[in-house]
Amino acid sequence: MNVSKDLTAASATPLILAILKGNDNYGYSMIKRVKELSKNKIVWTEGMLYPVLHRLEEQRWIESYWKISETGRKRKYYTITTAGLKELETQMRQWQTVNSTLEKTRGISGQEEDPHV
Amino acid sequence: MFDLESNIRSWSNHLRASGKLKENDITELESHLRDEIDDLTGSGLTQEEAFIISVKRLGNVNAISREYSKINMTSFWKNMLIDSSDRDLKRKSHRNLAWIVVFSLLAGTLAKIPEWSVSLFQNPDSFLLYFKNLSLFLFPMVALYFLLTRKSGWKYTVSTMGFFCLSAVIVNLYPSYSPGNTVLLTGIHLPILLWLIVGIAYLGRGWRSSKQRMDFLRFTGEFVIYGGLILCGILALGLFLEIIFQTIKIDLSFFTAHYFLVYGGCAAAMIAVYLVEAKKSIVENFAPVLAKIFSPLFFVSMAAFSVAMFVTGKSPYDERNFLIGFDLMLAAVLGLVLYVISARGLHDAPNFFDFMNFALIIMALIINSVALSAIVYRLSAFGVSPNKVAALGENLVLMVNLGGLAVLYFQFFRKKIEFSLLEKWQTAYLGVYAVWAAVVSFAFPPIFHFC
Repeated sequence: MNVSKDLTAASATPLILAILKGNDNYGYSMIKRVKELSKNKIVWTEGMLYPVLHRLEEQRWIESYWKISETGRKRKYYTITTAGLKELETQMRQWQTVNSTLEKTRGISGQEEDPHV
Repeated sequence: MFDLESNIRSWSNHLRASGKLKENDITELESHLRDEIDDLTGSGLTQEEAFIISVKRLGNVNAISREYSKINMTSFWKNMLIDSSDRDLKRKSHRNLAWIVVFSLLAGTLAKIPEWSVSLFQNPDSFLLYFKNLSLFLFPMVALYFLLTRKSGWKYTVSTMGFFCLSAVIVNLYPSYSPGNTVLLTGIHLPILLWLIVGIAYLGRGWRSSKQRMDFLRFTGEFVIYGGLILCGILALGLFLEIIFQTIKIDLSFFTAHYFLVYGGCAAAMIAVYLVEAKKSIVENFAPVLAKIFSPLFFVSMAAFSVAMFVTGKSPYDERNFLIGFDLMLAAVLGLVLYVISARGLHDAPNFFDFMNFALIIMALIINSVALSAIVYRLSAFGVSPNKVAALGENLVLMVNLGGLAVLYFQFFRKKIEFSLLEKWQTAYLGVYAVWAAVVSFAFPPIFHFC
């Protein structure tokens, strides 16, 4: 089952930041990485990645530079800033909060289904 | 046979046409597309299949450009002059600015030269002499700016600038006898010809292509608007200078009239050239907006005039200068039609403004044919004068232009032809204006004995 559109959009920022935390990277390779890591469950409309990258750059969470690849192709690489690292920490914690809350509700709903307990 | 390169090019041109992306954004997306195509062909797909899939994965071009328009809006305003993130571009832009300063000063000084020599010889016709040369002070500098900043090559530069020199020599070798009608005509027509030569400098070797010429027309519209606004600012500043210095009993009127306005006017034009170039494809063009506001208004005014003309039964040709008035009307209609067309997508279906354009042209042609029948009928009675022949020629040239547009519009509405044919007609017709302006500027004076 694929991740819904809304959730994909919401998770784009932390995913990009997390990937850049590992290494500087360019758009196409980042998309491939997300596909790989999510086992094809998170599918981005590829063109939409770039406006998002622009926004992150405006927030000063990432920076970019041009590099010529070994095939002679001009590529725009992105690198994470310290502000970006901090933002990644925050967003990670937020996702974890959502996640753990969801986990706990499973416990609650389980209790409600069985009123004899 | 599938041509990958041309397909990628047309895809990126489509992105470019939206006007929402910067050149760097397009490079980035294109590099993505190529990476994906390489991967897909590597896994055994043909180039065509790989191209189709990659384009599909990148997503709808319109949706992408809409996304970009959201984020680029704020930075567009900031980056209107110079995209500060690009160091190369910044350096280039500084160099261009330096050229602008140099050429403004040169044009201003050029405009001062006849003043010195005229005061030496005490020529009574100095005003006409000055007027005749007006376009020769500024336009060569604009052309030279384009030739230099675009690195057009010295052969191209020399031949283009040679044309300016040749015109200057011919025009100034011609004598002028009272009442000086031919000099006046030269002064009016030479700028038209020379501006089209500026177009050749602006476009470089691509000046023959219809698309490129359309770009020059767009440039012209924006240039007039920007130049006009800056000139207003300069006039206001001059006035302010005079007033504030008057309060301490210093009379600056000679300085402002003879130096400030001459150099300021030249600088206004050169700055406009720079600005229009710098903001190209970043901000929506303004000339089409003006044209769209005024074309319905103009249509209503002309309709009112024609109704009044038929109801009262009064003929317009009793008025001495009426033909010039009708020439101006045709020129105005042409301008409105042209700038509405200039902002139009080539593949759009006919819209309200296309019908408006068509109605405007038909109305103008009807009114004009009434006037024209009168002048042709009376030409012999009036006798031939250079002014009348010039006005008549202009009228015919404009009428054929608008008539051609009307016919093509009609065909376009009936889905017989593509819209691009209208653009082709209009841009090809620029040649006719160049030839006519050259005939009036260079051939009329000897034909009419320099009177």
